Amino acid sequence: MITRTPVARKRRADDISNSPLVIYEDPPELPLSSYEPSSSSPSEQMLCTYQCRQMVKSEFLDNLGSAEKQVRDYKTKLESMDEVLSKTEAERKKFKDQFFYVEQELAAAKGREKALQEQLMKEVTDSQERIKKQIQSFSELEVKHQKEVSLRKNAESSAASAKDQASTLEEKLSRVSESVERENTRLQRDLTELKNESKLSISRISADLEKMACKANNAEKESELLKTQLEDLREQLNECMHQKGDLEKKLVDFSFQSQVGSPRQSDILVKHLQEELRNYQTEVQEARKLKSSHENSELLKEKLLEEKGRKDRAEAELLKLQEVLLNSKKLEDELMWWKSIATDIPGISCAEDVLIKFAALQKEVIVNMTKVGEVSASLKQMEVALEVAELGKQQTESEAALAKEKADQAISEVKRLESMLHSVGEERDRLRSDALASKKQKHGEAETEPANGSFIQELEASLAIKETSIRELEKKLSEQKEVSTRHSDEIVVLNERLHNEARRIKSLEREGDRLRSEISLLESKLGHGDYSASSTKVLRMVNTLGVDNEAKHTIEALRTELEKAKEKLQAVEELKGKSDTGTYIDSNISEKLAQLKAQIATLEKREERYKTVFAEKISVFRRACCSLFGYKILMDDHQRPNGIPVTRFTLQSIFAQGEDEKLDFEYESGNTSLLENEYTSDHEVAQQVGIFIKKYNSIPAFTANLTIESFNKRTYC
Amino acid sequence: MASKTSTKDIITLRGSAAIVSEFFGYAANSILYNRGIYPEESFTKVKKYGLPMLLTQDENVKLFLTNLTAQLSEWLESGHLQRVVLVIMSKQTNEVLERWNFSIETDKEVVEKGVSKEKSDKEIMREIQAIMRQIASSITYLPCLDEQCIFDVLAYTDAEVAVPFTWIESDPKLIANPQMVKLHSFDTKIHKVDTLVSYKNDEED
Repeated sequence: MITRTPVARKRRADDISNSPLVIYEDPPELPLSSYEPSSSSPSEQMLCTYQCRQMVKSEFLDNLGSAEKQVRDYKTKLESMDEVLSKTEAERKKFKDQFFYVEQELAAAKGREKALQEQLMKEVTDSQERIKKQIQSFSELEVKHQKEVSLRKNAESSAASAKDQASTLEEKLSRVSESVERENTRLQRDLTELKNESKLSISRISADLEKMACKANNAEKESELLKTQLEDLREQLNECMHQKGDLEKKLVDFSFQSQVGSPRQSDILVKHLQEELRNYQTEVQEARKLKSSHENSELLKEKLLEEKGRKDRAEAELLKLQEVLLNSKKLEDELMWWKSIATDIPGISCAEDVLIKFAALQKEVIVNMTKVGEVSASLKQMEVALEVAELGKQQTESEAALAKEKADQAISEVKRLESMLHSVGEERDRLRSDALASKKQKHGEAETEPANGSFIQELEASLAIKETSIRELEKKLSEQKEVSTRHSDEIVVLNERLHNEARRIKSLEREGDRLRSEISLLESKLGHGDYSASSTKVLRMVNTLGVDNEAKHTIEALRTELEKAKEKLQAVEELKGKSDTGTYIDSNISEKLAQLKAQIATLEKREERYKTVFAEKISVFRRACCSLFGYKILMDDHQRPNGIPVTRFTLQSIFAQGEDEKLDFEYESGNTSLLENEYTSDHEVAQQVGIFIKKYNSIPAFTANLTIESFNKRTYC
Repeated sequence: MASKTSTKDIITLRGSAAIVSEFFGYAANSILYNRGIYPEESFTKVKKYGLPMLLTQDENVKLFLTNLTAQLSEWLESGHLQRVVLVIMSKQTNEVLERWNFSIETDKEVVEKGVSKEKSDKEIMREIQAIMRQIASSITYLPCLDEQCIFDVLAYTDAEVAVPFTWIESDPKLIANPQMVKLHSFDTKIHKVDTLVSYKNDEED
């Protein structure tokens, strides 16, 4: 609060002029001031003598002195008054400033108050809108909830109907199962009967079998007996035959003798023999019979075996028969069961309808199941939605509570602001009244009073102008608010753009990383010394230092040799002047020449030998290389167009299928490079070049792979 | 040295070319000394770039380097020089052991329009000093050159450049699967020089 002190009231000049001011003049025309002492009345003046005059004079002088004193006092007072005035003016100014300041504050407070009111209103409207929205959403949710409840009821009812259907189906199932059990028991009974029957039949068949086996055994025994008889008969037959032979011999002898002996004896003998013959014939017939019986026994054996086989087959068939019987019974049972089901199931006239009905029922079950699933899913969804709605409700409630709290706070704030405004207004009024009072005070004294009045009027006018300007500002504020809302919308749009830009920035960053890696790769390539031949040329200075040095050394050596030769020549010329010595020297020279020639010849021979040895060795080496590595290698030195010497190697595989399958390599200062030709530009070979030479930088791997490839081609073709 | 206008920070194409070619001269000398291509006694100490630099006293090498820097300066002024490579090779086998690669990027605008750029001499010197220090310290990681070596200088120029009388076209003298170390770079705002040393990978042997 601004403390206000009441403005010190200026004392009027009348207050300080209490003492009388006397101007002594003789004539009484001029009246003395109203403050003349009451003692000096005009009657007394009329009676004034010299003495009196002197007295008056002295009195006047005294009065004058006192008046002067008073004047001085007044002056000092005036000064002090002036000071007070200046002080008051300063105070006035101060107060004016304070007034302005207060007005500004007031305006600011008003502005704040308005802003706060607007904010409050906004918040209130926002909260109301939110509450409305919440209420709307709540009502919607309630509607939804009701719908969901109804849906749930429907679902429950459908679930109940599904349950009923399921129960009916279960009942049917139980009925069917009961009938199945009944059928089972019946079938089991039948099965036991059949088993008993089969056991009986088996026992019967086994008895028959035993009978047959006994018969077979008897037949076997008979056959054995017959066999023994047959053998005996055979022996007898043989004996008979022997006897017959003997008899025939005897007969022959006898006939021979009969020609010689009597015919009677012979007739008797013949008769006897004929009888014997008849006997033997009968025996033979018996033997034949026995033989036939033996054959019959063999036939019987075979028949027995056949019978045994038939018996086995019959047993197997019996087992099968049992199975078949079982199957047929099962089928019959099933048929019966199905028939009974068909009779049980309503709306079925024939067996085909059963399938259709069954499919329909299955479909129904599936549909019901899906429905149940859907219903349960929707129920769950509804539950979830309900939970969400409840949560939302709770949130809205809490938000509403918060909004209420905020509204309360805002109301209290408004109240506070109103009280503040009120106090400020009061203060303003007070200040205004003070200002008016001070103006009134000043009005009497100062000459600038009308000016002050006009000044205050001006101030008031300016205040009015300010107020109008405040209104304008308020309007502007509302416009600014609109602008700000627009700006906020724009900000939202810009935020979206910002997000998009951020995404783009991220993608660009990724691109940047990729490019950086590419740059590093290219830098490494550059560092390695790679360059594009189309745009760049590599140059070097012709006279390198090493070559220079060597050339200088050789030149120097040649120079020294030349000097030596010159010296020798001079010496020779000097010696030639003397004939003896000249001939001696000539002979010496010729000897030397001969020696040198011999030396040259030997050296040439040695060189040739070396050459031949080298040629042999190199051919051995080449052949060895060819057989070891599979390539014929040709070496060739030549120069590039720019004068750089290079060695070219031409490789031809021993598995090559044509003359043009050649590889050309250039070897220069430790580096070998493959030259392109028709063969290497072929797709297959180019691929290998790409893999082994360009990627892995390995020529041996390339040549080895090529060898294997061409070897495979050669061998598989 | 670079020809400068009255304000020290302005740099012209010619000045930049002079700085770069002079740098090559000193760098080549430093490499030849540090890698022991020429004997230690054949070098004298001078002060340059705020460092004690060693310059060869071998007349042949001096002449070679003078001719080289003169030609490089010419190419730098025309903006046709892309790269300068100092190659160290085995004397016996001619196998390339080291490649000191100085890549040059020239501001085409300066070459075409002849405009000047602004960069303080002090800053350029500071950058060159850093490279020189790195060259001197390279002996710590580069493999020891046990055999006698020779050196050669290759210049990568634009394809349309006419080959000078004392120069011939050459192969790039590459090293198969080299190890590479990138050194500092310096920039005169007209020429940017990136330094890189690649050397034969001993582990492969």
